[in-house]
Amino acid sequence: MKDQCLRISQATSTTIDTEDYTKAMLNILEDFSEEKARLEETQRAMLNLLEDFDVERSKTEAANRELLERTAQLEAANKELESFSYSVSHDLRAPLRHIAGFALLLQKKGGSILDEQTLHYLNTISESAKQMGILIDDLLAFSRIGRSEVKKSRINLGYLVKGVLEDFREETKDRDIAWEVGEFPEVSCDGSMLRLVFVNLISNAVKFTRPRSKADIEIGCIPKKDEFIFFVRDNGVGFDPKYQDKLFGVFQRLHRQDEFEGTGIGLANVRRLIHRHGGRTWADGEIGKGATFYFSLPR
Amino acid sequence: MIELKRLLLVEDDPKDVELTLEALSEYNLANEVVVTRDGEEALDYLHRKGKFQPVPHGNPAAILLDLKLPKINGLEVLGRIRTDEKLKMIPVIVLTSSRQEEDLQKCYQLGVNGYVVKPVDFHEFINAVKELGVFWALINEPPPGSIAKVKAHK
Repeated sequence: MKDQCLRISQATSTTIDTEDYTKAMLNILEDFSEEKARLEETQRAMLNLLEDFDVERSKTEAANRELLERTAQLEAANKELESFSYSVSHDLRAPLRHIAGFALLLQKKGGSILDEQTLHYLNTISESAKQMGILIDDLLAFSRIGRSEVKKSRINLGYLVKGVLEDFREETKDRDIAWEVGEFPEVSCDGSMLRLVFVNLISNAVKFTRPRSKADIEIGCIPKKDEFIFFVRDNGVGFDPKYQDKLFGVFQRLHRQDEFEGTGIGLANVRRLIHRHGGRTWADGEIGKGATFYFSLPR
Repeated sequence: MIELKRLLLVEDDPKDVELTLEALSEYNLANEVVVTRDGEEALDYLHRKGKFQPVPHGNPAAILLDLKLPKINGLEVLGRIRTDEKLKMIPVIVLTSSRQEEDLQKCYQLGVNGYVVKPVDFHEFINAVKELGVFWALINEPPPGSIAKVKAHK
């Protein structure tokens, strides 16, 4: 267009050549119709876009509505879960206390006339009630981890691990444990949650190296490009790799109660805590050759 | 001779009442315990209403209060005690199965004097109740206006 206009002005400023003039005008007209066609095409495209936009918008609105509904459903489910754990904590504990209590009263008042076998039965009743109390507490703690808010701040994990090890000093004072503690970064995480993770992993390492006259426990960090990988390695009794997936399940145990005590909630808690930080958990080990537990935290 | 003060136990579960009195009786503390079985009855006792009209004047030295109670629950009883001019000074100790953070928070907000989770283990339960009984019925000096002290043989 610009060129054409220039040519017209050149044409008018010099001697008027009618033939040139007509040609120029025809050219302009041709350009105009081309331009018009282009505009119409753009307009069509715009209309199509608007139409698409409308479709998208109604889709988004529908998705929003669905999201609101889902949120309401989730909130309702959460409420239900809360009242469930409330009654678990309150109503289930009461009969347990009664079982244990009256078994003990029976033992106390009838102890002198009861034979050893009968006393053993009473003892078993008390012990089982106590064990169920522990299981209920563990289950409630596990559900709390899933619901409580992750409060992130910059945490120096070196200090945190040192503090955790300090807590194990008393418990392990009669044991021969060679601790190897690596370098740790500062990461953004919930300090009390990460503390629980290390407490669980280290207490497992301490527990499952008990049969060893000299235990080796290594705690370290492997920095990667997008994440940090942390591990706790021990030379304890290890585990059969085919049960690897079971390790992190709720109340999953790979040992008998009389070999190693515990309810089997520790690693399930670890997994939940790490998942809530956007990380992963895994383990490798071999029977009799120790185990290594890993978890990752995004950078 | 020791001086024994009256305790009010608010507990709906007869088995818990029995176990609690059993625990208190080990120190001869059970005699001076008044038992009410729901929140309404507890408030009636404190206000000397209905069947509690003949009860002598004076507040109990302390109240052992369960949270989950029929009719008026423990939190509400605690709230009403704390907003009543005549009752608000009575020490209240919550004795409950619930260790829910929410309950703890509400109780302390309402000015509870103690919060004890009933241990499942009976030895521990007996010990907890005994210690509570000894402290509130023997050691602690209750607020003025509590019921006249009763002489009892140890």
